[in-house]
Amino acid sequence: MNITQQVVNAIWLGGVYSLFALGYALVFSILGVLNLAHSAVFMWGAFIGLVMVTQFSFSVWLAIPVAMLGAGLIGVLLDAVAFAPLRRRNAPRIAQLISSIGAAILLVNIAQLIFGTQPERFPLGSIPTDTIEGLPFRITPIQIIILLVSVALMALLQYMVIRTRAGQAMRAVAFNQRVASLLGVNVSGIFRMTFFLAGALAGAAGVLYGLAYNSMTPFMGDQVALKGLTVIVLGGMGNIQGAVVGGFVVAALEVFSIANGGSNYRDAFVFTLLFLILLFRPQGLVGQKEHTRA
Amino acid sequence: MKKLLSILMVFALLLPVTAAFGQDDMMEQPLVGFWEQCPTPENLPETVNVGAIFGLSEAVAVYGTAQQNAVQLAVDEINASHYLGESTTLVVMFEDSAGNRDQAIAAMTKLVEEDGVVAVLGPTLSSEAFAADPVAQENSTVVMGVSNTANGITEMGDYVFRDSLPEGAVIPGTIAQAAEILGLAKVGLFYGNDDDFTVSGYEVFKAALEENSIEILGEETFAKGDVDFNAQLTNLIAAEPDALVVSALAAEATQIILQARALGYEGPIIGGNGFNSPAVLRDSGADSEGLIVGGAWNYGNPNPSESSVQFVEMYEAAYEMSPDQFAAQAYTGAWLMATAIRCADSTDRTDVRDALAGIADFDSPLGVFSFDEDRNPVHDPIAQIVVEGKFQPLALVMGE
Amino acid sequence: MEFLRSIGITEIVMQFMLINAILGLSMYLVLYTGMFSLANAGFMSIGAYTGVILTQNFDQPLWVGLLGGMAVAGVLAVPIGLPVLRLKDIYLAIATIGFGEVVRILILNFDTLAGSLTGESVRLTRGALGITGIPKITETWHLAAFLVVTGFIMIRLHRSRFGRAMAAVRQDEPAAANMGINVVYTKNMVFIMSAVLAAAAGVLKAHLTRTISPGDYGFDQAVSILAFAVLGGTSTWVGPLVGGFVLTALPEVLRDFKQYRGIVNGSILLLVIVYLPGGLVNPAGWSQLWTRLRGKKQGDTLTAEVS
Repeated sequence: MNITQQVVNAIWLGGVYSLFALGYALVFSILGVLNLAHSAVFMWGAFIGLVMVTQFSFSVWLAIPVAMLGAGLIGVLLDAVAFAPLRRRNAPRIAQLISSIGAAILLVNIAQLIFGTQPERFPLGSIPTDTIEGLPFRITPIQIIILLVSVALMALLQYMVIRTRAGQAMRAVAFNQRVASLLGVNVSGIFRMTFFLAGALAGAAGVLYGLAYNSMTPFMGDQVALKGLTVIVLGGMGNIQGAVVGGFVVAALEVFSIANGGSNYRDAFVFTLLFLILLFRPQGLVGQKEHTRA
Repeated sequence: MKKLLSILMVFALLLPVTAAFGQDDMMEQPLVGFWEQCPTPENLPETVNVGAIFGLSEAVAVYGTAQQNAVQLAVDEINASHYLGESTTLVVMFEDSAGNRDQAIAAMTKLVEEDGVVAVLGPTLSSEAFAADPVAQENSTVVMGVSNTANGITEMGDYVFRDSLPEGAVIPGTIAQAAEILGLAKVGLFYGNDDDFTVSGYEVFKAALEENSIEILGEETFAKGDVDFNAQLTNLIAAEPDALVVSALAAEATQIILQARALGYEGPIIGGNGFNSPAVLRDSGADSEGLIVGGAWNYGNPNPSESSVQFVEMYEAAYEMSPDQFAAQAYTGAWLMATAIRCADSTDRTDVRDALAGIADFDSPLGVFSFDEDRNPVHDPIAQIVVEGKFQPLALVMGE
Repeated sequence: MEFLRSIGITEIVMQFMLINAILGLSMYLVLYTGMFSLANAGFMSIGAYTGVILTQNFDQPLWVGLLGGMAVAGVLAVPIGLPVLRLKDIYLAIATIGFGEVVRILILNFDTLAGSLTGESVRLTRGALGITGIPKITETWHLAAFLVVTGFIMIRLHRSRFGRAMAAVRQDEPAAANMGINVVYTKNMVFIMSAVLAAAAGVLKAHLTRTISPGDYGFDQAVSILAFAVLGGTSTWVGPLVGGFVLTALPEVLRDFKQYRGIVNGSILLLVIVYLPGGLVNPAGWSQLWTRLRGKKQGDTLTAEVS
């Protein structure tokens, strides 16, 4: 029972980590910048979902797409305010990192003014929480739903990037902006779309996370920001499968260091592995050998 | 633009004030206060400035804003009832420390050295207090923590007070009662290992468990910001403990209760001050059954003092939410400070200190309150168990 | 002085400004050499803990604590730098964040770890509670003197052969190697200097804030240090100095905004970096901004040329 349960715990936690890391990885893979405001968009997604449910009596399942749309638009706004002007000026990427911090401060503080600081939650009964009976381990319906939605979103994103025309354009931009624009790709349009998609993913993650842990504050993004970073590096930055693999690896590592009596050093294990992977496989667990970025 | 902003700001600041004023006509004299013991002061200036340093932004704002609300509520009552005399207004200058040590020091310096306040309430976190309180001490200015529970706070000097019971004053009683009533023999211990509050709680729990010769089957830790505790709980539950003993803050406490129950654990969960929040009970719903909480004050206390009932009513009317322990302690702290100023009948910082140190048997929402000679609070802590979704005194429910 | 105090910059705020300027400079060194390292918060904590243990447990004066903290950080920077500095860009950043987190967790668990190794009860770093009751012995003139000496070293450094090697490594590593510059030596040397500076700031600050705990030196601190340097501008060493000053003073100056403080603070940060991507101390950036402000049309052609 114990081992099975820990395996289930690891899979579940891996799903949560991957979901958050997806949008992070998407922006990094296309633009090559770390968007430290991603966790703020994630938080906004959760609150948009909450407002839909509490103020407009939406069902939770309807609130998710609305939150995705809202968070996607916040992503586009974020691009317009914090990233696009710097891109136009050919500013170094490090400047974009700092502007994303400024944007994050702004987004969190605005949320604090509007939503206050006390933890909010989805109303009781908006989601099924009873443990499923008759299994050799314990899992709740919401956990299964979140896992399924995560996997579906990952698959959808992967399909989009690999198979569709827009996805091809995105990859072209990621490979070389100048060449892409010579080929007639609308580069700023692709950037906007990337931010929209990343925001939408963050929004979905925010609502699902809010449902799973049922406690939302304007500061909820802090909890996952560093973890998300760890996940995408471990899996290989700028790589969608990498975010997924990284999420499950980090979760497995955490759960098994705890299962073996090392909860004090849990994060040290994770970061040491991160360190070693960077030294010996800087392209990440599933990255290609040659990275396209300088 | 700046003008517009300041107008907006004034409105935002006035909002809670006007909300609280609606109550005045019904209530001439609040139940809190040394109305009889100290005569109405006559020598106070028109305005008396007191500082308050709370975490009003960043994650700590969850606690800091409740503290600010409660202090503002107390100040409105104090001024409406002319506690400091007919023509004297108490003004609290709130400063944000963002849970950050540097900002707490800067805010304390500004209040004490620049603004010349009579005394200071706060800061929110013990770690901030260790950094900022010495500034007040050096300037012979009273500083009163209303949420500092770490050991050694008042050892920083004779101007440093607190009205928040340290974990050491709450937990041993809870454990002793629980051990006797539930017959605990072996428990699992779970705590956050990177936060001074949760680590202090853990140390006190551990000592109290050993004192009562209760075996600790296993210890697990989590880190600040964790939301998933399944792995650690799976370990702890596998050892089949009689109870889970947990030192955590409110946000984590809720998750720990929910996840432990989802993993099939049905026994009692024993928590410290961190579990003592209306949000924990509300958010964990039926899963909170059997939760045992030791704390300084509790919203669901079935035998509250009259002033506690009144405080809850006022707070709910003003802010449309239930107060937690942080609010109750901050509210009491503001009243204690006003009482010291009233009894001193002076804004001299040393007079105020002496008057504050002399406060005893003060009827407050926390119960009958006194300071001991080390300027730590003395009042009865509560040990309660959740039965059918409500807090009940532990001793009463289980039968002596 | 009176004016500064009236806008919220008291002596203690000024002291924090000086400390953050030192941290900005430690970040500047690595950035100037083209290394995106976020290890400075970790080295700051190593310095702070070493320094405080020297002054508190071994009753040494501040200068011994300062030199001790700098030395330990400098020595530890060697085994960290050698493998890590082979990484570039964001990979280096992440690896050094990992380093910072491992340092934080080790300090957090140091007493238990040392206790289980030696079999005795150890009380040195005191876990999450941290060390409290450190006397406030750092004075403004210590900080000012340290900064003046550091500034002097910066000037000498830039005029030296080594300083030119640093710039060459940043501009083009293979070319620098072809020119006979020992790239590995240059990078590691700079990494050590940066660690030593961060450690010094850590020691000095610990004896100012009277208390330290592992949580003070996490990811947030690492990113703040980066912001000092980038917002100030890394084209000259004066930039990070100004960045440290401005970013420290800003939240204090903005106290009158009450609950809007965070919004104003975030907006200013965003506006500055968007309009002056090269940082505050960057003449080219200001003249571009000036052109843009004077005539929208001229500005447009200019940005078009740039991009």
